[in-house]
Amino acid sequence: MNKQELLLLAWENLWRMKFRTILTIIGVVIGTASIIVMVSIGSGAQKSIVGELSNIGSITTLQVYPDLSSMGVSGISGGKKDADKIILNDDAIDDLKRIDGVMAATPVISLSDVTMETGRDEYSVSLMGLDYKALDDMRYGTTDGKKPNANEESSVILGQEVLSTFSYSSGAASVETTEILPADLIGKRINLVVSRTNEAGEEEYRTEKVKVTGVLEATGGSEDYSIIASDQLVNDLNEWKTGIKINFDKNGYSEVLVTVEDSSVVTTVTAEIEAMDFTVFSMQQILDSMGSVFGMLQILLGGIGGVALLVACIGIVNTMTMSIYERTREIGIMKVIGASINDIRDMFIAESTMIGFIGGGIGVIISVLISLLINLIAGLALGGESVTISYITPGLVIFALIFSALVGMLSGVRPAIKAANLSSLDAIRSE
Amino acid sequence: MFIHIEDLKKDFILGKKPIHILKGINLDIEQGEMVALLGPSGSGKSTFLNVLGGLVPPTSGLVKIKDFEISKMNENELCLFRREHLGFIFQSYNLIPTMKAIENVALALTFAGVKKDKRLSRAKEALSIVGLADRIDHKPNELSGGQQQRVSIARALVNSPEIILADEPTGNLDSKTSEDIMEMITKLNRESNQTFVIVTHDPEAAQYCTKVIHMKDGVIERTINQ
Repeated sequence: MNKQELLLLAWENLWRMKFRTILTIIGVVIGTASIIVMVSIGSGAQKSIVGELSNIGSITTLQVYPDLSSMGVSGISGGKKDADKIILNDDAIDDLKRIDGVMAATPVISLSDVTMETGRDEYSVSLMGLDYKALDDMRYGTTDGKKPNANEESSVILGQEVLSTFSYSSGAASVETTEILPADLIGKRINLVVSRTNEAGEEEYRTEKVKVTGVLEATGGSEDYSIIASDQLVNDLNEWKTGIKINFDKNGYSEVLVTVEDSSVVTTVTAEIEAMDFTVFSMQQILDSMGSVFGMLQILLGGIGGVALLVACIGIVNTMTMSIYERTREIGIMKVIGASINDIRDMFIAESTMIGFIGGGIGVIISVLISLLINLIAGLALGGESVTISYITPGLVIFALIFSALVGMLSGVRPAIKAANLSSLDAIRSE
Repeated sequence: MFIHIEDLKKDFILGKKPIHILKGINLDIEQGEMVALLGPSGSGKSTFLNVLGGLVPPTSGLVKIKDFEISKMNENELCLFRREHLGFIFQSYNLIPTMKAIENVALALTFAGVKKDKRLSRAKEALSIVGLADRIDHKPNELSGGQQQRVSIARALVNSPEIILADEPTGNLDSKTSEDIMEMITKLNRESNQTFVIVTHDPEAAQYCTKVIHMKDGVIERTINQ
């Protein structure tokens, strides 16, 4: 008996006992749908959180710091340890650049507590000094405007959130009217004001006029709340403010940004930099640890849904076993007129696999509908936004179909063997 | 010899004591014969037929049909053998109640791997041979006893077996219908040279056969060629 005929016969057998078949399928539908919906909620949470983090493109940027742990230790063990410490200076940066997959490595000079004057308003901001020559390699995108050229040292880029979060209004006008977008400042000149207290105890101010050329794409990092300026400008302001000239070669930079080719090399590059005794921080590390948390969440949710499928599985076993009792005579007849043991066994397994597969298929359709409904309702509850609470991945659909068919098949094995081993003569005599 | 049976014994174990149902049967049947196995109940005639059809393994002895020693076959080989060489007719028809007449008949061909359209046309043909061409879409409970038995005859015929084994084919039928059925079997036997072995306790039915074997207490009492 060929496979196609077998499937056809199994199919016809199922529809000869419509009512019970449908009830059993409904069990599988509920089981599959509950697994899919449960896992989809886990995926939805993962998608919206991870998506928010990785969409912002900073996944290929690694922040490298001097070895923070040994800094702590050096204080205890004295200067000896200090001498061994690897300094994050230009030599180290050259080493970083030589790592496979690294596109750019550039130091960051930070300066906080800077006042930005837009003419009408003042904002307290941080400056992030970068080597403009490296800007193009660093994959910083702009949502508006453009990045400054290497020689435009008095041009700056504004972070997305630079105005909104730490802003305050100095004028008499209300908040709404003073709230301007970073993009509105493009092409305009703004003042960066730094203050210091001199020996006489008086406050001194230094003002730098800079031109805004663009607004930085959101990165999810500290850039969003900073103004990116040239490293020279920030260094100048820093020296003026602190009165100390920093020897970067001897003391090293406090932070270096490393840009890698793509996300696939992040892990290997991270490992290599850590092997050089620097501390590395990347979005990838957060995503990795989140991935395992969400993986566990999905297994947990899937397990809860799985209970329903387990019940459905017992339902299939029950239906198939009952079916044998009911069809004992039929099985006997089939064996007498030429069905082999394997034919009978395969026929029953095919029937239960079909129940699983059909139930799985309908379960997928229903769970897609439920998923849409959940997102719709959640969207309405959140005021018409489009939200992803439940997210069904193609992999989940394929997994659910295979899994439900497999559950059906396995549920059918024992009843099928039992049916196949019935004595044909006893079977046709039974009533 | 077409069917050759030598010292066939069959015991059933009931409790701890074996009961000897067949106590050494020797029989030869030629192709195209129509044989009646006649005897009171308990004589072992049904058991003998079941052994012949490979439904029950013999305890000892030789059962050979054509070149096949069916007494030595395992269950799967017997299935294949039945599928290709044997047809069965039962007293209680043994039709599948949820299938139409044509589906019941075609089912025998399904296991033989015959394509669906061919299956249905051959089943239709077999049903018209037994005079049920206008009843092919009826389910068993929509047919009379005689009609159901004819469906089961059609099912036995559909794969053109060389041997048809019938266990009390007229046992549940009234005498007029029994006559019709026996006449139909006789006609099939003459026209297609199929060998029939028919178990019956009805001497009337035995009258249609070319050979009548009387069984009693697990042995052949006498054989009459007519």
